[in-house]
Order: sequence, then structure tokens, then C-alpha cells
Amino acid sequence: MSRVRRRALPFPADEPREELPPPEGLVLDARLHLLDRQVLDVDGRPVATVDDLELTTPDGGEHVDGGDDAVVRALLSGPVLGTRIFGGRPPVSRWHRIGWPDVVEVGTVMRLGVRGDGLDVLWVERWIRDHVVGRIPGGRHDPE
Amino acid sequence: MKKLLGVALGVLTAIGGFLDIGDLVTNAVVGSRFGLSLAWVVVVGIVGICLFAQMSGRVAAVSGRATFEIIRERLGPRAAGANLVASLLITVLTLTAEIGGVALALQLASSVEPRLWIPVAALGVWIVIWRAKFSIMENVTGLVGLALVVFAVSVFLLDPDWSELGHQALQPRVPASEDHATYWYYAIALFGAAMTPYEVFFFSSGAVEERWTAKDIGQSRINVLIGFPLGGLLSVAIAACAAIVFLPAQVQVDSLSQIVLPVALAGGKLALAVVIVGIVAATFGAALETGLSTGYTLAQFLGWSWGKFRRPASGARFHLTMIVALVAAVGILMTSVDPIKVTEFSVVFSAIALPLTYLPILVVANDREYMGAHVNGRVTNAFGLVYLVIVLVASVAAIPLMMWTGAGA
Repeated sequence: MSRVRRRALPFPADEPREELPPPEGLVLDARLHLLDRQVLDVDGRPVATVDDLELTTPDGGEHVDGGDDAVVRALLSGPVLGTRIFGGRPPVSRWHRIGWPDVVEVGTVMRLGVRGDGLDVLWVERWIRDHVVGRIPGGRHDPE
Repeated sequence: MKKLLGVALGVLTAIGGFLDIGDLVTNAVVGSRFGLSLAWVVVVGIVGICLFAQMSGRVAAVSGRATFEIIRERLGPRAAGANLVASLLITVLTLTAEIGGVALALQLASSVEPRLWIPVAALGVWIVIWRAKFSIMENVTGLVGLALVVFAVSVFLLDPDWSELGHQALQPRVPASEDHATYWYYAIALFGAAMTPYEVFFFSSGAVEERWTAKDIGQSRINVLIGFPLGGLLSVAIAACAAIVFLPAQVQVDSLSQIVLPVALAGGKLALAVVIVGIVAATFGAALETGLSTGYTLAQFLGWSWGKFRRPASGARFHLTMIVALVAAVGILMTSVDPIKVTEFSVVFSAIALPLTYLPILVVANDREYMGAHVNGRVTNAFGLVYLVIVLVASVAAIPLMMWTGAGA
């Protein structure tokens, strides 16, 4: 498994390239259209920003940088942002994933087909809601 | 009729909401030292903020994306992260100045020491952020802030030498007692006071809060294009008051009591009461805007759930951020730092950081993926490019001028 980086070039800049047939259907550039986009859940509530992507090979094996076809398996968010800014790579156990099958629309935002409440990426939000903000008087009421 | 009332309300709140502690202090200081010879900068700043606010409001209305989501998406995590740190620091600095302003104004009204008012003011700001509806918050502070019109009335009551004032404004000249570098330093400070980045974070996030759509662009354009210039006229009136009273006496303004003195001389106790009410409303309103802006910027950068239209529990990290920012502001003020000095620095740093927010908005306002048919027209882009140059020059020149002049001393 590997993750996409904006700065890393997957091939030498002067590499000769064969002519590819024109693509069919909508083409998305992972760096341009997926990374750093806002993710909304099925109710339109913000969930996270796409901080990084988890890539695998089509048969589910580990994807090596610059290798063959890659499949986006999950959107990552949370601590991986730190490593995208400063370099390095957090242990896989620290990744907070949103599975690619949950994504239903990719536009100026990415929409999920599930509710955000059940997702791993929102555990900090839930903790602060349950232990801090929800306990202050008025915290669970609509503004007046 | 109802629509007309809506437009009138929008314009009035834009006028009242335009002024904050930065405008009050900088205009009064500049008026006392340079007369109206820097009034042209206010005009440049007003056109700039109209352009900038209008663009970011339009982007938010059409795409539903607020400023910092766009900055992150366009610049990537590193550049946007650096931008976030700079923007947050300046917004907290401005929040500190505004809360200090509320406390100083309440001190004028009550003679109770500002350090006793500071926690009260911050608590008030927090309660409104926590519980009040966005539209009520905007309209009440904006309308009460209109009391600052008393500065304009005072200019007439002081019965000045109009030809002298006109001469200062229309044929600007550096006064003999001042240095050229100091003159340009204050030009940048005035520009920063008119075009503070938090206004743009707030304006674009507010558009999302009030669920603007492409239909509301016309209304927002009227609010901005009429309300802000009239608010700018009040800025010039503040400078004119200081110019009439303090410039001939060679007195330099460095406290809030001096800023309101011309109004008291012109209109007595009643005018003084009105101006204090106006200053409390304007600084309190701006404290709300800057406080919310700290939450908006961080939440938008990290993709958190945000907005006053949700109950606080549905935007837990957003609300916690604002609580931390308010505590930080109170902490800074409790060191007995002079809020007027904090203000003077915050407006200059605003000018320094301005290109960081201005450029991404200009780029996205031309992006058809976000904007569809509502991309910038040619006239807007022509102005946009001219202002890009102005914003960059002001930003680059600010720090050398600050060091050269000893921060305008």
C-alpha cells in the first residue's frame, strides 16, 4: 500500500511516453480532484478533508510507488495530515479510513452515502461533543 | 416592500458593521498627525474591500464553499497550513484588540478599570456565539453601531475650516513635522485597517451560514457597494474630528478617551453617551466576527463541521476552538498590554498577510468548476489585478517601514 503525494513525480520528467488512447468517460486526477477536498456525509454535514489516499493494486495487494495500475481503496484523514506536511508516514494502525465504496459523488466536494456518526475519522469530534461541549449548558439546543 | 426593507436593513448593518477598533484607532491617530492627507488611502481601501468581499461572497453563494476550504484545496496542505497559522495569529490578535476596545469603552462609561471589564466582555462575546442566531447577532450589532454616525455630525458641529480640510484631502502632502517613511507606514496601516482578512473569512462563512444562493448575489452586492463606502465615510469623519481638534495643537492620539474627545467637545454629554454606545456595539460586533473567524478558518482547513446554524454539539471542535481563542485573548489582555497598541500592530500585520487570502479568492472567482456562469467579469478582473499589485506592494513594504520608522513612532 502506498499513498499519493503531490510533490513526488512518479516518473522522470524527461521520460519518453507512448501515445495513450483518449480516455473514455470522466477522468479524475487524484491530486487535483481528490486530495484536499471537503467530504460531506449523506446529510450534507462536513466530515473531514481528504488528507491522503490509500492505494492498492487491482487485486488488493500493496501498491508500490510508480508501479502499475492503482486503485483508491480509502480516503484518509487525521494524523496523516501531519506526515503529508512534514514527511514520513504514520503506522497503518493510526490511519483513519473512509472506504471508497462509501463515496457516492466526486465534485467540488465529495459526498458519502453513509452518515458521518459511525465513521472512525470523527472520533475526536464525538469525544469533544460528549465530554466538553455537550456538557456546557445550552450546548445541545438550537441557537435562538 | 418587504424586499426593500431587507435591502435597507442589509445596507444599514453593513455601515454599522464596517467600523471596528482598527478603523477607530488608526483613523484617529492618522487624523491627529497627518490631518486628512491620508484620506485617499481610505478610498483605496474601501474599493479594495468592496471588491474582495464581493468576490468571496459570490464564491461562497455559488459554490457553497467558504474561503479557507478553497485556500486548502488550491494551495495544498503545506502552503495553506502556513497561511492558516498566519491568519489565525492575526485574527486572535485582532480579537484581542476588539475585546480590549469593548473594555476601554465600558471604562469610559463607568470608570471601572478595564481589567475588570475584559472577562465580562469576553464572556458576553462567548454567550452570543454560543446561543444567538446569526442573523440577530449581525443585525443588532450593526444597527446599534450606526450610533457612530455621531462622528460625522460632530465634524459639522465643530464648525471647521472647510477649505483647509478640503485642501488636506484633495492635495495630500506630508506635514512638515513628519517623516516620509512614517507617512507611508501609516498609509499601509490604514489600508490594513480597511482590508482586514478576517472580514473576508467572516463574509464568506456568513454567506454559507445564511444559506445564500446565486439569487442572493444581487442583494449582497448592494449591501457591499453602498454599505461599505458609507462606513468608509465614517472612517474619514473620525480622522476629520481628530484633525480639527488635535492637529493644530500637535497632540498625538494614544487613548480611546482622546478618540472620543472631539465628539464630546462638539455635542456635550449626550453625544459622548451616543459615541460610547456606538463604540461598544462596533467593537463587540467585531469581536464576534473575529471570534467566529478563528473557528471558521481552523474548521474549514481541517474539514470539521462548523457553523452557528448548527447546535454547538454538532460543531464541537468548532466551538471549542472559539472558546480557546477567547481565553487566549483574555490572557493577553490581562498582562496589562495596551489594547490601542495591540490594535496598531494588528492592522499592519493584516496588511502583511493580505495576499495570502486575496490571491486564492481571485483565482477561484475565475474557476468555472466552482463558479459556472458566475465567474468574474472583465471589469472585476481588471480591478482584481490592480489590487493584487497594491496588496503585494503594501505587504512587502510593511515590515521594512515598520523597522525603519520604529512602528510609526
